[in-house]
Amino acid sequence: MSSKTSHIRDNVVCRCEEITEQEIQRAIKEFDLSIVDDVKRLTRAGMGLCQGRVCYRLVERILLEEKRLRTNELLPPSRRPPTRPIKIQTLAGWEESGT
Amino acid sequence: MGRERNLSKSADVVVIGAGVIGCSIAYYLAKLGIRVTVLERRERICSGASGANGGGVPLSLTSPDSPTLGLRKPSIKIYQTLSEEIDCDFEYEKTGVITCAIDDAQYSLLRKHREGMTRKGIEVQLIDGDEARRQEPALGPDIIAGLEDKETGTLNPFKLTFGFARAAKRLGAEFLFCAEPKAIEMKNNKVESVVTDEDRIKADFVVNAAGAWAPVIGKMVGLTIPIQPNKGQTLVTEPVALNKRWRYVMDADYLARGASAPPDAQDIDVRLGITGGWIQEKTGNWTLGTSHEINFDAAATIDTVSRMAKRAIRFLPGLKNVKCIRMFAGFRPHCYADDLPIISKVDNLSGFIIAAGHLGGGITFAPLTGILVSELITGKETSMPIEALAFSRFDHITEGAKQ
Repeated sequence: MSSKTSHIRDNVVCRCEEITEQEIQRAIKEFDLSIVDDVKRLTRAGMGLCQGRVCYRLVERILLEEKRLRTNELLPPSRRPPTRPIKIQTLAGWEESGT
Repeated sequence: MGRERNLSKSADVVVIGAGVIGCSIAYYLAKLGIRVTVLERRERICSGASGANGGGVPLSLTSPDSPTLGLRKPSIKIYQTLSEEIDCDFEYEKTGVITCAIDDAQYSLLRKHREGMTRKGIEVQLIDGDEARRQEPALGPDIIAGLEDKETGTLNPFKLTFGFARAAKRLGAEFLFCAEPKAIEMKNNKVESVVTDEDRIKADFVVNAAGAWAPVIGKMVGLTIPIQPNKGQTLVTEPVALNKRWRYVMDADYLARGASAPPDAQDIDVRLGITGGWIQEKTGNWTLGTSHEINFDAAATIDTVSRMAKRAIRFLPGLKNVKCIRMFAGFRPHCYADDLPIISKVDNLSGFIIAAGHLGGGITFAPLTGILVSELITGKETSMPIEALAFSRFDHITEGAKQ
């Protein structure tokens, strides 16, 4: 294993969705992934409340190691609104609030 | 320009588009030992509508008179065994769906729909509001009735598409990314090769599975394909406790309006094609849809999502205090001539096949489309009657467009 941290078991990478480094490594191998968003789509790492703000650099790191990529070969992760979680009710009242 | 092309590539079939339709076609062809190359203009699979939907596999959520109704049961049947076949758990689950009415007009829609479905041998049950709420306390007090269909299900569209692609690759299919077709070369009304910036790939067949972009590919061989982008926006919430009985809930408006979004409608919800469809994944996250807008703007727009949020709360009031964590949009390939997909050869254009225009049914019909296209290519009789999906149904339109 090229991964420096491969001796650690159940190393949680995405805290929102509780996805471990090992799960991410497995998905990368199984589906031949090389894009952060693809890791997200298959493992849910980065799909939680923080939308990957905490873990995406770690996911990138794992991809770099597993796929032996250079940093400039990585695509940036997608960024979707909202910037912060927002209540459905607040969204629904958007017109009334006049904002 | 100026770039060297690799001219030596060849395949039996080139599939254009690596969405769920293209990946399914690649799998079913590779399974027959056919050499397939999939060209995807983007950098990965599942980058269009296949990656921006709720993962619904509905049986009865269509007009009882739609020619696609008869294809739904066979599609759903394939899903029962597909995950084992392609060795990928894409989380297919028969969740059932309840379509809800909040006023008399919607109630009569449900009754009419039940009548139509019963006539076609599809089992649906009408349930009154109180009984529906007893079974599913998450349903709001405004709901006066619901129509249940137990055969409807959901799945994880990413895993399905990745599963198809991986299974195809294992059988020898090749996927080329960032490989936008620039031209399709023909000789004597027969396709000969597809040209990208990097390659020229010789092929006996070319399959246009480019979804909302299918007309761009059609143009390369002189065809007018009547498909336009039908934008659908989606909100995803944080995970919350699972609904007790129904995790797939629909607004009865969908039965009346489908994908239509008349630009001159008075009611803004109608103009934006807002028809509620709400699916709770096993993880507890809700996928709240949706809109039907005719443009290619990928951004989520606040006027639309705000109205979608309002509509969702009306039916599922518990969503009020649940947080939205992301929103996105995708482009359904909408065949505006008659709302039906095109799965077809083309007269006088040997080797060119169209498999696009599935609108909101790409996930529902993906495996069946793969099978049908493999039958068209091997020259077999198709296992389902698909005359209604033939490209020749537009002969009059395309003639007109040429002038």
